[in-house]
Amino acid sequence: MPRETFQQELDGLVSDVLDFGEEVKDSLENMVRAMEGRDAGAARQELGVDIRYKTWGMDIERECMILQARQAPVARDLRLLYTVQSVTNHLVRSGTLCEHICHAIVDTEGCERDEDLETALVEMARTARNVFNEGLDVFENRDIERARDLQAKDDKVDLLYSESMNLIANPTEGGGGAPEWRMRAALMVHYLERISDHGVDVGGSAVFLVTGQRIEDAMQQYLDRNVDQDAG
Amino acid sequence: METEKTGRERKVSEVSRDQRDARKKGDGAAPGDGLTLGMKIQDLSAFYGSFKAVTDVSIDIQANKVTALIGPSGCGKSTFIRCLNRMHEVIPGARAEGHVMLGEQDIYAKTSDPVVIRRRVGMVFQKPNPFSKSIYENVAWGARINGYRGDMDELVERSLKHAALWEEVKDRLKESGHGLSGGQQQRLCIARTLAVEPEVILMDEPASALDPVSTQKIEDTMDQLKQDYTVVIVTHNMQQAARISDYTGFFYIENMGDPGQLWEFDETEKMFSNPERKETEDYVTGRFG
Ligand SMILES: Nc1ncnc2c1ncn2[C@@H]1O[C@H](COP(=O)(O)OP(=O)(O)OP(=O)(O)O)[C@@H](O)[C@H]1O
Ligand SMILES: [Mg+2]
Repeated sequence: MPRETFQQELDGLVSDVLDFGEEVKDSLENMVRAMEGRDAGAARQELGVDIRYKTWGMDIERECMILQARQAPVARDLRLLYTVQSVTNHLVRSGTLCEHICHAIVDTEGCERDEDLETALVEMARTARNVFNEGLDVFENRDIERARDLQAKDDKVDLLYSESMNLIANPTEGGGGAPEWRMRAALMVHYLERISDHGVDVGGSAVFLVTGQRIEDAMQQYLDRNVDQDAG
Repeated sequence: METEKTGRERKVSEVSRDQRDARKKGDGAAPGDGLTLGMKIQDLSAFYGSFKAVTDVSIDIQANKVTALIGPSGCGKSTFIRCLNRMHEVIPGARAEGHVMLGEQDIYAKTSDPVVIRRRVGMVFQKPNPFSKSIYENVAWGARINGYRGDMDELVERSLKHAALWEEVKDRLKESGHGLSGGQQQRLCIARTLAVEPEVILMDEPASALDPVSTQKIEDTMDQLKQDYTVVIVTHNMQQAARISDYTGFFYIENMGDPGQLWEFDETEKMFSNPERKETEDYVTGRFG
């Protein structure tokens, strides 16, 4: 097959992104563990990952640029390079957010907490991690059917977001935990919501990769078709 | 047709200038409004004796646009493009079937004169082929035998400018066309084609024998040319097609021995970002075979 080297380079790039994804997954796993067990030690392991992820992301980006310059990719190759860059970006950002959360856990070690809020936070962290993991899996397997379902899972994160924010804004009499912790909790809620969104986007990029369509357009067409079927 | 004749009597560039001005003023004139003509091809097949080289091509060539034709070697791009100005039938035993409309006129109708058609649909070939004449005469000759009665100096200058060659040759118009570099010769041939004021310009791999700088110059003229002409270009250089064309047609032979066919035709943007058919994608990404 012609362009064998180019194909190998593309494959190499994708597997590099997947390796990167695995590491971010591990970081998120650690983060969830730290939240579940109030384990500042686990969280501490993640301090400093941010800079490593950023460097890794820049390496992948540079590789993409070199391939664009040398190979002048079009069509599916171009979509792949575009997708790789965009997924990389989501990974870097998720990694950064994960580190922020771990920082918060370390900084608030020993602070008094509100039990309900903590439960909601942990639940949200688990769900966000699941969405992220699934997004990566959808990307790896180019599973465009599941990309659509991801959105629904993300809705659960949004629900937990509202619930947590509500608890933060309206602490129970004498409860609510230390103010410092509550403040950090608000930020964590926000970061978790972002991580879940990145997961959805990583999964959605599979749709673009395979069909050339934006997930939003694909969803709209899907909805329109159902409306037509209902009408007919 | 009366209106068309009036149009032809005016200089094409003048017409187009008016057209552009009209467009700026926003009074509705648009490309393809009849001032520059497009082509409509229906069920065109081309033969060499009993061998069918191209089958059933239907395609609309838009006025004031560049249409690129790509595809593997031997799939019939040159054959097809030669059918668009009746050059194909010049080859002994070769013939075409189907309809090729230039504006309202079927160029294969009995009443159509191939000589007139070839003036209205000009052609630039792969290898530059200037005449053994001066640079000036190379450009003026075609116009003269076509009975051009305007200011010849002006026509030569305008054509050379349009082909982006004027600055390089204006001081040596009397010298032989053969004394030019390959890239300059090719632009001279473009100027020569422009001088007879065609409506459509066909180019069969016009830059394939040229160095990158000359290629760039030819590509740069393309953007200019489409202001006033309809351009069809065959190219093996995929990036060139992506850079210069508005529409791209992919020719393809499905099975060995079959005639070539137009496999996919769409806006260039679409063809190079997300083509519909797998074979097109394999071809444009270089994963062929
Ligand atoms: N003068 C001819 N006589 C007989 N067969 C011809 C002649 N010219 C071309 N053919 C055949 O017609 C088919 C199409 O050829 P054509 O030159 O149109 O292909 P092409 O797409 O322009 O190829 P390339 O990219 O190599 O220029 C080929 O099978 C070729 O062998
Ligand atoms: Mg050819």
